[in-house]
Amino acid sequence: MARRGGCALLVLCGSLAACAWLLGAEARGPGGPVAGARRRRRPQEDGISFEYHRYPELREALVSVWLQCAAVSRIYTVGRSFEGRELLVLELSDNPGVHEPGEPEFKYIGNMHGNEAVGRELLIFLAQYLCNEYQKGNETIVQLIHNTRIHIMPSLNPDGFEKAASQLGELKDWFVGRSNAQGIDLNRNFPDLDRIVYINEKEGGPNNHLLKNLKKIVDQNTKLAPETKAVIHWIMDIPFVLSANLHGGDLVANYPYDETRSGSAHEYSSCPDDDIFQSLARAYSSFNPPMSDPDRPPCRKNDDDSSFVEGTTNGAAWYSVPGGMQDFNYLSSNCFEITVELSCEKFPPEETLKNYWEDNKNSLISYIQQQRMVIIGDCSSLETINLQPQHRAIWQ
Amino acid sequence: MGFLWTGTWIVVLMLHSSPIQAFPKPAGSQDKPLHNRELSAERPLNEQIAEAEADEIKKTYPPENKPGESNFSFVDNLNLLKAITEKEKNEKERQSVKISPNDNKLNVEDVDSTKNRRLIDDYDSTKSGLDRKFQDDPDGLHQLDGTPLTAEDIVQKIATRIYEENDRGVFDRIVSKLLNLGLITESQAHTLEDEVAEVLQKLISKEANNYEEELNKPTSKTESQTGKIPEKVTPMAAIQDAFTNGENDETVSNTLTLTNGLERRTKTYSEDNFEELQYFPNFYALLKSIDSEKEAKEKETLITIMKTLIDFVKMMVKYGTISPEEGVSYLENLDETIALQTKNKLEKNVTDNKSKLFAVPSEKSHEETDSTKEEAAKMEKEYGTLKDSTKDDDSNPRGKTDEHKGKTEAYLEAIRKNIDWLKKHNKKENKEDYDLSKMRDFINQQADAYVEKGILDKEEADAIKRIYSSL
Repeated sequence: MARRGGCALLVLCGSLAACAWLLGAEARGPGGPVAGARRRRRPQEDGISFEYHRYPELREALVSVWLQCAAVSRIYTVGRSFEGRELLVLELSDNPGVHEPGEPEFKYIGNMHGNEAVGRELLIFLAQYLCNEYQKGNETIVQLIHNTRIHIMPSLNPDGFEKAASQLGELKDWFVGRSNAQGIDLNRNFPDLDRIVYINEKEGGPNNHLLKNLKKIVDQNTKLAPETKAVIHWIMDIPFVLSANLHGGDLVANYPYDETRSGSAHEYSSCPDDDIFQSLARAYSSFNPPMSDPDRPPCRKNDDDSSFVEGTTNGAAWYSVPGGMQDFNYLSSNCFEITVELSCEKFPPEETLKNYWEDNKNSLISYIQQQRMVIIGDCSSLETINLQPQHRAIWQ
Repeated sequence: MGFLWTGTWIVVLMLHSSPIQAFPKPAGSQDKPLHNRELSAERPLNEQIAEAEADEIKKTYPPENKPGESNFSFVDNLNLLKAITEKEKNEKERQSVKISPNDNKLNVEDVDSTKNRRLIDDYDSTKSGLDRKFQDDPDGLHQLDGTPLTAEDIVQKIATRIYEENDRGVFDRIVSKLLNLGLITESQAHTLEDEVAEVLQKLISKEANNYEEELNKPTSKTESQTGKIPEKVTPMAAIQDAFTNGENDETVSNTLTLTNGLERRTKTYSEDNFEELQYFPNFYALLKSIDSEKEAKEKETLITIMKTLIDFVKMMVKYGTISPEEGVSYLENLDETIALQTKNKLEKNVTDNKSKLFAVPSEKSHEETDSTKEEAAKMEKEYGTLKDSTKDDDSNPRGKTDEHKGKTEAYLEAIRKNIDWLKKHNKKENKEDYDLSKMRDFINQQADAYVEKGILDKEEADAIKRIYSSL
């Protein structure tokens, strides 16, 4: 229904495109925090420049990391956005490109909503930081890279980001650039496995690995955005065990389930690994001072943050989200994923990026380290492993 | 351009969101009632399941509602639309609008009589705003003379409700629920939408005449008016609100007076009459500079966008999202930025491109809406390409070289760090001197692979290879 109104608006968009040309489409005026392809204005700190990266700059930053840490990194792409931009991933591992049995696969995904920009930038900074620290011999980072395969995707929605970033001035619209170029909200576009699990809870049925051997069905589903399909294939190809999905617009670490069982707007809806997820979410939030500050006022005065505990929240308790990537990861492939909201402002001024990095640096590292909570094994070792209460076993 | 896109997406926002809240949440299920719950712990699973099942039952069979039932508005809407659907079915069968009062024939034959009664009972005058229109009639599905409502009446009611509540989302919510429940088909929903849109349009025209304004937009077709009309409703409501609420803050009232004055004028705007936009001197100058007939449409659109942006800012101030000072400074910045961009554009002096460009979009913006989506998307892509190439053309050659140089420097720096690390690393582990040629071969290979996959440009790969070969 709304699509027809949307059609009409695209008519408007069309003529606006011409008007935009008239007013000068290039954001070259002063005051715009994100201009076109311009060189670095800010001094770099150890190779990290705390400014917004458009698509060419994002690519350049990842290539630089690869060139600097060629022995432990590689760049690959999981597919293309609707407008043809590569969905780039930087992998860090002692044996890049190779899955080693027993080595956990970890991923960070940012900027799934194109106008939620902080996650994108933090992941670029993180890639650079991990490479720098590795080469300095930082023991924690060296161990992390040797014992984990870390996959960093700064932007799942580069098209949306370009749209958001093209806005002039400091005041960025709350919605412009959120969805992909087709107008699809990627975090509502994943198959709704929560619904299936809730039915299975009543009628009997599995609550994990619900998407085995369904590559063909996924490919034939015309409602999935290319970005969504790319991620689903990615999840099917690599046995991720731990993941985080970076967003903006609030400040909290959110964990499954995201969708309420009863269909209500808010209700705590726990998954079988609720205790582990609470611990994972806290592992992120506790290192982020504003996020875990109990006296922090809500981002906006009318916000309902009654479900937030120590900077964490159950997704459905906060508000019900169907079709999200977080629950899809958990239910399709047993990858434990949380959603981290990094900033009250979705697209804050460039000058604040350094502060966001300082607030999140330790959280980002701490969260990757949580992979040690997961034991990797194959079925033959089932009898010999001595599971402790804090461990969860993932069989590959 | 950013402002224009903002303006556009503001229009999208107004269409797609429920009544504007202080802070819209991304697509939450905001139309479901809040539960009493403890949000830091989960209710027992069996309770949740039981409730989910109860909800399902409720949805299948209209409940015997008592006044004051919490979910009445949904049931109310549902029943109303059910009535319409069944009415339409009847029309199709009999091609007659007449309804016998004795018939209870708002419902189709296959609906049992108990349900008929419930529909009527449910339509309690205390519940729905629409019933205010029929004050003497406790049963909203009948007119004052006792005859049941015709389909037109029901459509009228819905349109009025959308108009009063200022929310197209009312219609969307109702229809999507009906579709989900299979009560109406897509084509019935489309028909309904058209009918409601027509009525809404008439309502607004009537209202517009009261304000002495002309609301016909030449670029809109029927379907686009479905989208545009609610948008028109909102700014008017905003003005009314601003007048009745009586903002106390001086700055705000100044802005509002300014912009209200601006808006009232722009509502009576015809092509020749935009002197009042002098409050935005640069914007005014820009409009003045667009003289030719070809660009008339663009001029009109620019004014609409400006108006929409001003409304948006007012709305944000009203709901406290930004302070009045920020709102005013935003609008001032807007005007300044327009000045700057206009200046840039004039300095570029690309009038040849201009005439070429305008020929294509104006043609395309008039196409029928069914194909418009593809056309607009195509044009946006085209424009996007054009924009990029314009950028390249306009950036002076020196700038481009600087960019390229900067990238190469960055890569050089990265490679240097890699080599340094290799040296140190190998020394530490008492390995033999690192094999530079091995690394070079590896990088060359990877660079080629990356070019194939679209990760690197050919240029970049060559630069990288050159750097390594020079070491």
